[in-house]
Amino acid sequence: MSPLLVALLGILLLPLFVGSWRTSIFGLGCQGLLMASIAHRLEPNPSSAQDFVLLADLAIVRGLLVPFAFYAVLRARNTPARNDVIPPNLLSWTVALSLVLASFSFAEVLVPEAGEQRTLVAVATAGILLGFLVLATQSDPLSQMIGALRIENAIALLELGGKRTEPPLGLQLALLAVFLTTVAYFRFYLNVLGSAEPSASVGTSESEGPTL
Amino acid sequence: MTSLVLVLGPAAASLGAGVRHVRTRATVLLVMVAFFSSVLAYVVAFAPSGPALLGGYLRVDATSRLFLAFINPIFFGVSVYVWNRVATTPELGREMGRFVPCVLIFLSASNAVLVSNHLLVLWLALEITTLAAAPLIIWPTTPGSQLASFRYLLFSSVGLGLVLLGILCLARSGVSAGESPSFFLDRLAARSVAANPWSTLGVALIVLGLGTKLGLAPMYSWLPETYDKAPPAVTALLGAVQFNAALVVLLRVVQAFRPALAGLLTAELVTMGLASMLVSSFSIIATRNMTRLIAYASINHAGVIAIGLGIGKTASYGLLLYVVSNAFIKAILFLTAGKIKAHYGTNDTREIDGLLKNLPYSGVFLMVGTFALLGLPPFGSFFGELLVLSALVGSGHMFVFSAFCVLITMTFVATGRTVFPMIWAEPRQARTWPRQTFWSASPKIFFLFVLIALGVYIPPVVNQLIEEVAASVEVR
Repeated sequence: MSPLLVALLGILLLPLFVGSWRTSIFGLGCQGLLMASIAHRLEPNPSSAQDFVLLADLAIVRGLLVPFAFYAVLRARNTPARNDVIPPNLLSWTVALSLVLASFSFAEVLVPEAGEQRTLVAVATAGILLGFLVLATQSDPLSQMIGALRIENAIALLELGGKRTEPPLGLQLALLAVFLTTVAYFRFYLNVLGSAEPSASVGTSESEGPTL
Repeated sequence: MTSLVLVLGPAAASLGAGVRHVRTRATVLLVMVAFFSSVLAYVVAFAPSGPALLGGYLRVDATSRLFLAFINPIFFGVSVYVWNRVATTPELGREMGRFVPCVLIFLSASNAVLVSNHLLVLWLALEITTLAAAPLIIWPTTPGSQLASFRYLLFSSVGLGLVLLGILCLARSGVSAGESPSFFLDRLAARSVAANPWSTLGVALIVLGLGTKLGLAPMYSWLPETYDKAPPAVTALLGAVQFNAALVVLLRVVQAFRPALAGLLTAELVTMGLASMLVSSFSIIATRNMTRLIAYASINHAGVIAIGLGIGKTASYGLLLYVVSNAFIKAILFLTAGKIKAHYGTNDTREIDGLLKNLPYSGVFLMVGTFALLGLPPFGSFFGELLVLSALVGSGHMFVFSAFCVLITMTFVATGRTVFPMIWAEPRQARTWPRQTFWSASPKIFFLFVLIALGVYIPPVVNQLIEEVAASVEVR
């Protein structure tokens, strides 16, 4: 098992057990940087424009830009340090670990030959399932955004394993633009909605002007 | 070439809408672009198919032609509604510089979904419709609308993430079968896709992800909230235009993968369809919010469509008839619900009464729209449901047939119990309303005319298009 994939698996799990938004955002950044390292390891001599766009996507956008964009908003809003991405109890932690185990069993079905491809698929599957666990157990905007971004990162990891399916440059740039726009929207929502769980009264007694 | 103009024209116009001098007349530009798009859509729909464009990325087939022919006119109708609202309520004009570019990009991306021949381009265009629609939901700016917009984007991102994941799995399926992966739909349909764990997982994920965009269970909870909080014009666009754009992607997947994975598609679509009908039926019984009721009915309709698509065979023609009628029904009902809310100042069905006396136009629209929603004759929704039911019996799905009948009856009774008193009950207090002008009602009159016409007489050229698309989604 590649040390990079082991590290990635660790970084997927760690923020689930440490209830802090800084750890969650740090985790997202580390995921991007580790995926960039994996991409570099799979293609040590990047030559095509697609290779460079992929590296920029993983290292600069996912590794640095996304965490800083979130950090700036949360810091400016003076968000309390505590933020659990899954409920802090034994049941949630057991479910999280079980999902990781299930991912490895699932990867055995999809990739019968043991090796790095199987591990990559297992880690990507774990990333997706843990992302869904975050989405299913939390309702505050910050945790939900982190859950969605974890899923996006896991999809990018799975994409790394299928080099022969690399899309044309134009499409790759368009996919990157869509991801950047989504992150910009998330930042906007984080700014206006905050990181706390939305109040139950939202939407019940709002004064509305004329609408279209 | 005309199809390329349909995609790029509105996008180019959206740049113009941001220019300072045009901004004051942005709604006029919107109506003009929507009108020309509708004309061009008819040219594309009823002219012989041309060659593929942009290296095969764009291709017009029967599915594109059918959906272009009704999505663009609906967009035009909604544009006229917006123009009229802004003309009669000047304070709405202030933010048209933001609204019109977004809505034009939305149209451009929706048309791109319809004419695209590449899975990744389809995905990209559908994602752009989402990104263009998200800011439109925040209108007026309230915490509730911001939250609804966020949930819409979140669920859409997750749903489309699943679709992308499915596409990647399909690519891996090709590689593991020793083939060079291709995302071109015509090539995927032409060669038989290998049924292996990757392709099975890929198709299952794509259907689940698209189900989220269509408002199917299990990930449907964004839909009632978004439809309730968004302005009526935007809700009509989401329900009648974006819904059908997402449905086209689902039809493409079914067309390409049914030969290899018919069992999986039937099982997944029928399960999601029945689950959606179940949750929406109980929600319709429980809700007292008019817009949410129509939103839950939309989930119910999505369930019917999923079941029809899952069964295939003779249900295919019925489901397409149902889809076309459904688009016009949603446009009528959401625009009418907005008008009613604007006058009564509430969405609470218990506070609204005597619509036929108080707001005759809206009363009639709500009445006819509800009849069509409930699947009464002579509307296309009636024939559509009848054909889906007959296909269920014909294919031996008796459990699904029974559950379908029970759930549709529950929906019928619950909707009627809530909506009919709003239309016919004696008004509890005398109210005076500003007169409704013809222009304010004209888009809904147009939708109503098409809806009734489709139920009474389907022109042969439209009928042929529906038959061609139905044949393409059946098991070969």
